[in-house]
Amino acid sequence: MSPPARILVVDDEPQILRALQTNLRGAGYEVFTADTAKAALAEAAARQPDAVILDLVLPDGSGTDVCRELRTWSSAPVIVLSAVGDEGEKVAALDAGADDYVTKPFGIDELLARLRASLRRAEPTGEPLITIGDLTVDLEKRSVTVGGERVQLTPHEFALLAMLARNPGKLLTHSAILREVWGPQYGRESHYLHVYVSQLRRKIEPDPTRPRYLITEPGAGYRLVVP
Amino acid sequence: MNVDGRRLGGASWSELAVGVLGSAGVVALVTAAIAALKAHVPILSLGALYVFAELPIAFVWGIALAVPAPVACVLAFNWFFLPPTHTFTLSDSENWLALVVYVVVAVVTSELAVRVRRRATLAEQREREATLLAAVATSLLRGEALAEELDRISAQVAEVLRVPHARIDLAGSEADDQLTTRPLAVGSRAVGTIATASDGDLDTSVETRFLPALASLLAVAVDREQLQREALEAETLRRSDAVKTAVLRAVSHDLRSPLTAIRAAASGLANPSLMLGADDRSDLVETIGVESARLDRLVGDLLDLSRLQAGAAEPRRALWTVEELVGLARDETPDERIAVELPDTLPPVNVDAGQVRRVLANVLENAVRVSPPGATVRVTGEARGSDVIIRIVDQGPGLDAAELERVFEPFQRGSASSGYRGTGLGLAVARGFAEANGGRLWAEHPAGGAVIALALPAGAGEDA
Repeated sequence: MSPPARILVVDDEPQILRALQTNLRGAGYEVFTADTAKAALAEAAARQPDAVILDLVLPDGSGTDVCRELRTWSSAPVIVLSAVGDEGEKVAALDAGADDYVTKPFGIDELLARLRASLRRAEPTGEPLITIGDLTVDLEKRSVTVGGERVQLTPHEFALLAMLARNPGKLLTHSAILREVWGPQYGRESHYLHVYVSQLRRKIEPDPTRPRYLITEPGAGYRLVVP
Repeated sequence: MNVDGRRLGGASWSELAVGVLGSAGVVALVTAAIAALKAHVPILSLGALYVFAELPIAFVWGIALAVPAPVACVLAFNWFFLPPTHTFTLSDSENWLALVVYVVVAVVTSELAVRVRRRATLAEQREREATLLAAVATSLLRGEALAEELDRISAQVAEVLRVPHARIDLAGSEADDQLTTRPLAVGSRAVGTIATASDGDLDTSVETRFLPALASLLAVAVDREQLQREALEAETLRRSDAVKTAVLRAVSHDLRSPLTAIRAAASGLANPSLMLGADDRSDLVETIGVESARLDRLVGDLLDLSRLQAGAAEPRRALWTVEELVGLARDETPDERIAVELPDTLPPVNVDAGQVRRVLANVLENAVRVSPPGATVRVTGEARGSDVIIRIVDQGPGLDAAELERVFEPFQRGSASSGYRGTGLGLAVARGFAEANGGRLWAEHPAGGAVIALALPAGAGEDA
């Protein structure tokens, strides 16, 4: 059996920290805690966690700054804890390299699910063929099938789907997608993205008006999920 | 009535008496001059000298004496100089003609003099009115408060209208029956009234010329003030909206933190796939208990604050010893780290025990929370003047100068480094109750730690 994954939990509310620590231990993880931005970076450096759960509002700085700093030397997935009203900060954190978010107050099951998905994605696959439900994306041959049927995609549509498929379940922000698919100068043109997402849904979704694969996260971005 | 009649023609009895005596004097003076000259000049030519009496009389005392004075001159000339002297009869019929011509010339000259005088007076009056209107316009448009300016303007108006007293009231204020009141209106819009203490009418010219101009100026000033007030109200509303938004954000944050801990703990307990030991379970249950109590306190603070802001927290005051009040507060914040060091000599205070207990409990809770583990929170007391001052001294990171006031504002937090971050409502509620009880609550910053000081009114001799 592999050793338990190491999780760093960062929050300045002692009771939240305590509840998360107890539950995560109960779920089989090894847990470390920090209650300031400074302590978070120090703990991350010392413990080399496999994933970080990070509150956006810390007494000595924002979670976004911690995330940006962390990304310069660590690729451990980061899940931010945000609150209604923090939408701007949440998107900034995702753009700064966070992998996902949960909104306070959250049930522990939701957090555990997000954590498992993030940890799974972090494992290297190297597989050129990605299967998500009835959808298969062959990154090498640049071909896509839905239920065995070949689908014709334009180069931009394929690039968009390939990016989502390489990060199954992960929330990708508008600007991250635009920068990768269209180029760095397109970071703010999110209307392009909405149009291409609609076209892509018409080709891969059974019912494009009720998408099952390509899910919209309002105000944040998109993710490709197993239906 | 002429343009300035009341003062030129319709003079009072005393003015008339002065006029008659003055005129008699002038006529006597000229008569004496003629007597001195009659040896050298033909007597009929000397009669023309009476014009020098006529002109000043007409100019100074006006039309009332303009006709009687020439008649008096003719009578004096006849009596003293025309033969037979010392009678009113004339021996020479030529002299009759001379006298008639003289009277006609004198009356016409007098009338001309009166007109000149009248024009001069009118011009002077208009100039005074114009100067006053310009001054009023300047002061009103400079943006000075209309209400404060009204008294000064009223006094100036009284001076210009030559009445002993005048008072301008804006539309909507009460009238005074003692005074003669005239409307100040611009078109059909009533701007206000002007009341004058005057025994007669003002000139019609003042009513048709001066008062409308004054009314227009006042109307402009009233409009300007109205606009300013509206702009101010709009600004105040906008600010209070901004404050409400900030408070709502802070409330939602402060409510959500305990909710998050409760929900995370409860969902963990409910999840059978988690391997939780007995200690873990009791930890989670404790978290739920602690955070529920915190939520309850927060909701209580919110209610108290809204009661305080609505002025609905009427204290029921009685005499209490500080020792007892601190004791009550400690029941609410049981912590061994609180050291009470009160002198025995403190006078009792006259306060609402329940409310002051909240003040002390909130301050103590805060002090305990910011203090490092093992550090003591000291409670000291001293009598000063008519107050008793209680100080709660903590060994936390302290407050910098900018935070001393801010910690008492709802949902304002101290800086990141000081433990006063997350104070929420506690100190705001504490200050509200302290002030409702006639006391004060403030923060001090000595070297190291923070001091929250509470002054309460001593109750000596005032058994409520």
